[in-house]
Amino acid sequence: MSYDSLLYVALFLPLCLAAYRFAPEGWRRRVLLAAGYVFFWMLSGKLLIYLLGTTLLVHCVGIWLGWLKSEEKAAAAGVRGSERKAVKAAYQKQSRQVLMLGTAILLGILAWLKYYNFFAENMSGVLEAFHLPFTLEEKSLIMPVGISFYTLQAVGYMADVYWGKIKAETSLEKTALFLAFFPQIMEGPISRYTDVADTLFAEKPLELSNIQNGYIRILWGLFKKKIVADRLAVPVAMVFDHYTSYSGVVTAVAAVAYTVQLYMEFSGCMDIIIGSGELFGIRLPENFRQPFCAKNAAEFWRRWHITLGVWFKTYIFYPVSMSGIVKKWNQYGRKRLGRYVTMLGTSAMALLPVWLCNGLWHGARWSYIFYGLYYFTLILLGIAVQPARDRILTACRIREDSRVWRRIQITKTWVIIFVGELFFRADGFRAGLYMFRSIFEDFRIRQLWDGTLLGLGLQKSDIAAVIAGCIVAALAGMIKERGVNIRERLGESRLPVRWCAYYALILAVIIFAAYGDGYQKVDLIYAGF
Amino acid sequence: METLMNILREIDDSIDYEKEQALIDDRLLDSFGVITLVAELEDAFDISIEASEMVPENFNSAGAIYKMVCRLQEN
Repeated sequence: MSYDSLLYVALFLPLCLAAYRFAPEGWRRRVLLAAGYVFFWMLSGKLLIYLLGTTLLVHCVGIWLGWLKSEEKAAAAGVRGSERKAVKAAYQKQSRQVLMLGTAILLGILAWLKYYNFFAENMSGVLEAFHLPFTLEEKSLIMPVGISFYTLQAVGYMADVYWGKIKAETSLEKTALFLAFFPQIMEGPISRYTDVADTLFAEKPLELSNIQNGYIRILWGLFKKKIVADRLAVPVAMVFDHYTSYSGVVTAVAAVAYTVQLYMEFSGCMDIIIGSGELFGIRLPENFRQPFCAKNAAEFWRRWHITLGVWFKTYIFYPVSMSGIVKKWNQYGRKRLGRYVTMLGTSAMALLPVWLCNGLWHGARWSYIFYGLYYFTLILLGIAVQPARDRILTACRIREDSRVWRRIQITKTWVIIFVGELFFRADGFRAGLYMFRSIFEDFRIRQLWDGTLLGLGLQKSDIAAVIAGCIVAALAGMIKERGVNIRERLGESRLPVRWCAYYALILAVIIFAAYGDGYQKVDLIYAGF
Repeated sequence: METLMNILREIDDSIDYEKEQALIDDRLLDSFGVITLVAELEDAFDISIEASEMVPENFNSAGAIYKMVCRLQEN
């Protein structure tokens, strides 16, 4: 059962709503928790044990850290000066060790399940190259669904308790629900405790307006997923699975199509997830903010998979930036090497682990590592050329906020995104390199309209549905970019206008979605990470 | 406060720190600027700034930065 299935939207969600509605006072949270475990069980069966184990560990570590914090406060209250500093330092050291222990266990499990075979394969290759008589056997390891998402959420929670940003949760039921709220189990968003705690634990009674708004958001997600993403999956798979048979315009179109597919699917799925939360009055953090309006690669990542970016910034970028080695480099560099070189060095040291982790988080493949390093290089390059770029713009009297310059920058960012997604989707790094090179071979622009694209598995009507779906989504994005909340506006509009729009959405999903003969069910891409 | 103003002006003297209330939110101080500022603050005020302090509310204005410094000195 995935979020875009009829089973989820038309049966699981209504059943959960009914159980929530009729649950006695104080049991609503338990209904949501039970729904989370049923949902998880349906997807991963006995692997539910991983989620239960993680919950118990995180809860205990949180309480342990909270206890150390209160002990530290009591011990430091009676002393002053250097003695106070020493007392605090001793407790902080203990807290750090507890945090490290919890983090190491969680990341160790993730590393074992997700990266062991990748490590074994590459290690065996190295051993073979040196003619050493050892090999590491690959193992048959099965990952529970959503482990990459709930592990990050769990580590973030422990770090926040360690830093004193939140108090340790004393209710095991609440910790469990934080990690197992069913809409976000498969694909995130990777919530921070402070993002969701107030509405997640509020046990608000159901409200008609929340149900209406939630289902509209779910329908909007289905529109993107079923009308555009699922159709594009066909030509994308055809080109990427047989990449040696294609080149030039067709390969370039496949890269663009995959980017659109990924966006429509992942953001559509987020609409379904966030909408599901809204049904119960629970607010989940947004994961997308018009990413194709970004003017550079760094801004793109502040708009695409936002919660992952925030997690890396909070728990990797800042701790690395604040580490002794980076501070020492900063002090040394500013005295001896000048601001520019120091800035580049500092940025490189803080950004490299972020982008390596970003690549690896997506999966154990060299192409994902390349994907992370690709963005690392581009963002660092952006920082490096900024002073020269600013001088050129001033000399040419080009205003940064001018419409023309903005469009040039957005177009440049699109090219960066398309190339990145080509490597991301390609069947390995070599395949990605082959496909990228093949774009520049036999490049015939007329293949765009001479019928070549019709040989990729889509009918004319499918292409028309995809284009129409993209136009509607782009218009909605442009309106949102101007700060307009479309759902709110619709809600304030006259009854006939409002219901015409709602019915248009419902009918579009029913009539134009990629169902029936000739279509295969398309699995959620991010659920695989 | 004067020491803090001098540090801020050394990082970027084009910003009016007395008026500005959104140094981070408006991206007037970038990540590198904040890291440099943290190193300078630790030296000048003999404090230790942890990653947990890296939130916009602590760096959005000279007043907020000063408040954070005072709080860390008290600790």
